[in-house]
Amino acid sequence: MSAPAVDRPAAARPGRVLPFPVTGQEVVLIAVIAVLWVALSLATPAFATEGSVVPLLVAMTPIALIGIGMTVVIVTGGIDVSVGSTVMVCAVVIAKAMVGSGIPLVAAVALGMGVGALLGLLNGALIAFGRVQAIIITFGTLNLFRFAGLQVFGSATVEGIPPTLAPFGRGDEGRTLGVPHSFLLLLVVAAVAWYYLRHTAGGRHFFAIGGDPTAARLAGISVRTRIVLGYVLTGLLAGVAACFVIAQGTSSLAASVGSGLELSVIAAVVIGGTSITGGRGSVLGTLLGALLVQTVRTGVTQLGWPSQLSDLFVGAFIVVAVGADLLRQRRRPTPKGTT
Amino acid sequence: MTARALRLVLTQRTALLVVLLVAVVVTMTTLSGNNYLSAPYSASYMASTLINAVPLAMLALAELLVITSGRGGIDLSVGAIVSLTGMVFGFAYGQWGWPLAPAVLLALLLGAACGALNGFLVAHLGFPALIATLATYYAFRSLALVVNDQRPINSAPVQELYSTATAVTLPLVGDALPRVPLGIFTFLVPTALVVWFVLARTTAGRRLYAIGTNDVAARWSGIDVRRTRWSAYVAAGAISGLVAVVTVAQFASARPDAGTSGNGMALPAITIAILGGVAITGGVGRVAGVVLATLLVVWLNAGILLAVPGNDGTQFQLFALGVVLVVAALLNALTQRRYGGTQ
Repeated sequence: MSAPAVDRPAAARPGRVLPFPVTGQEVVLIAVIAVLWVALSLATPAFATEGSVVPLLVAMTPIALIGIGMTVVIVTGGIDVSVGSTVMVCAVVIAKAMVGSGIPLVAAVALGMGVGALLGLLNGALIAFGRVQAIIITFGTLNLFRFAGLQVFGSATVEGIPPTLAPFGRGDEGRTLGVPHSFLLLLVVAAVAWYYLRHTAGGRHFFAIGGDPTAARLAGISVRTRIVLGYVLTGLLAGVAACFVIAQGTSSLAASVGSGLELSVIAAVVIGGTSITGGRGSVLGTLLGALLVQTVRTGVTQLGWPSQLSDLFVGAFIVVAVGADLLRQRRRPTPKGTT
Repeated sequence: MTARALRLVLTQRTALLVVLLVAVVVTMTTLSGNNYLSAPYSASYMASTLINAVPLAMLALAELLVITSGRGGIDLSVGAIVSLTGMVFGFAYGQWGWPLAPAVLLALLLGAACGALNGFLVAHLGFPALIATLATYYAFRSLALVVNDQRPINSAPVQELYSTATAVTLPLVGDALPRVPLGIFTFLVPTALVVWFVLARTTAGRRLYAIGTNDVAARWSGIDVRRTRWSAYVAAGAISGLVAVVTVAQFASARPDAGTSGNGMALPAITIAILGGVAITGGVGRVAGVVLATLLVVWLNAGILLAVPGNDGTQFQLFALGVVLVVAALLNALTQRRYGGTQ
């Protein structure tokens, strides 16, 4: 009665299509971060305390959150250098709304997401339908968004922001059982994005587009829709990040908010092993990249070194991380898409 | 006839830029004649604003070389090189008492060394240019801030340099033309001439266009692709070193954030290169386009400052820059599809 055993090819076995969830780059990053944490704990006893780790985790959330969107965009072969300006526009609109009409927390977050998604939609539509290089368009919208944000600011800082967003901040209100809410939210978003990108057809489409847009189109993927979606997602997350930025700041908001943020985000993403040429990247790597960058920043400050020195190490880590990735690719002549 | 004119304006970037330049100048002069502006938009005002064109055009020429070298070529670190080299130049000239000529040479060489690091990462190790220059942007910017504890250097010799940044009356022509900032003649014109000569009249220039157009074909025709691409980054660094000297003279102070404060100097330089018809995909770009694009942006900005006084003026400059860049990019893409590219 027993049916003859049929050997299925290895590739068709469920669970074997995708590579192991943690790639080489991520293992290297985890090791580097572990070494840094141990070294810093030995060098300055203050590092491994709650008063230092919690602010570190809170401080990395805006960059990591936008980094998740940026990972999707870079995986499709694009880039978004306008995210700093997007954060600025969202932050000032939220701050003005909170000062002017005292909107509640949920409305503030929704407002940020709405404004951010709208700006992302503009980027995505110009890039997908104008068929222009993403870097040029987003350099342009960087200036345009900055202009729009400054116009909303008027010529002054926004003062007297109510503590509506404190649940996302550094203080006691921002924690449950010692874990900061903003970090929890980041983990939830990252987990959803990780699953979506790795285990759903829609998520795999982004990788296909980055690998070869023409082949992706011929395979029936609506390339333009996916590309627009990536930029909308990035804008939306930038809107949430703007709420975190306000929550971490004081009761006033200056026009310099978000300035230069785009480079920190791109640094976190590329340190995480996402290929700038598209087709390869992972959300987990981006989280680790953001954690590494923030660890360096916090570490340099706590060691009593000049805080500007941290950028030197960030630059060095970019070279080392991307260099290690290049070496691995060279050893493996046909790079496979990973999560 | 109109179709041919349209084709000329769309395919010849210099033609389009000349049309836009004339439009801006005529509009502003008309507004000025009707007293809509807060100060007259006169020839001498236009000449005096050229001081802003010197660093902008030189860095755009640096981007021209790097972007033309192809394979995603771009240099985000030029502003950081300006900051770092400016500080070292400030030390040499302002504190160690070096004479001017060796100090300028030091700035040139240090800039070239920074560029050589970029070029090594990109051409020899195969880093994507965006990543390599993002990393060195961070590194150079950080060093520039740390090297003198974030303090500027403005000792007496550095302050006296300011006299070299003032306007001069042209010899021979005399007062017939307005006074033009000296930096135009001492730095911008020589740089532009050298870059033009190398690109248009030497085999090195032809090699650069060749590797930018097609890496593989260039290698098979016997060109040392790595060395050529590396040279482009070295040249961009050297030009940035010269811009550092210009910037120190202009501000009468070596500032640690001279090229990196705010949006930095790299973004406007890339913007102008793109506007000047340099194709981001490499292999296409001319000095004339970059120079015309600089004039367009500088004179447009100067007009906006008079038309929209106060803080709003600088904000509208951002708006104008963004619109110009987006429209130029869309136009490039359109031209590519209809006529097969700009020239």
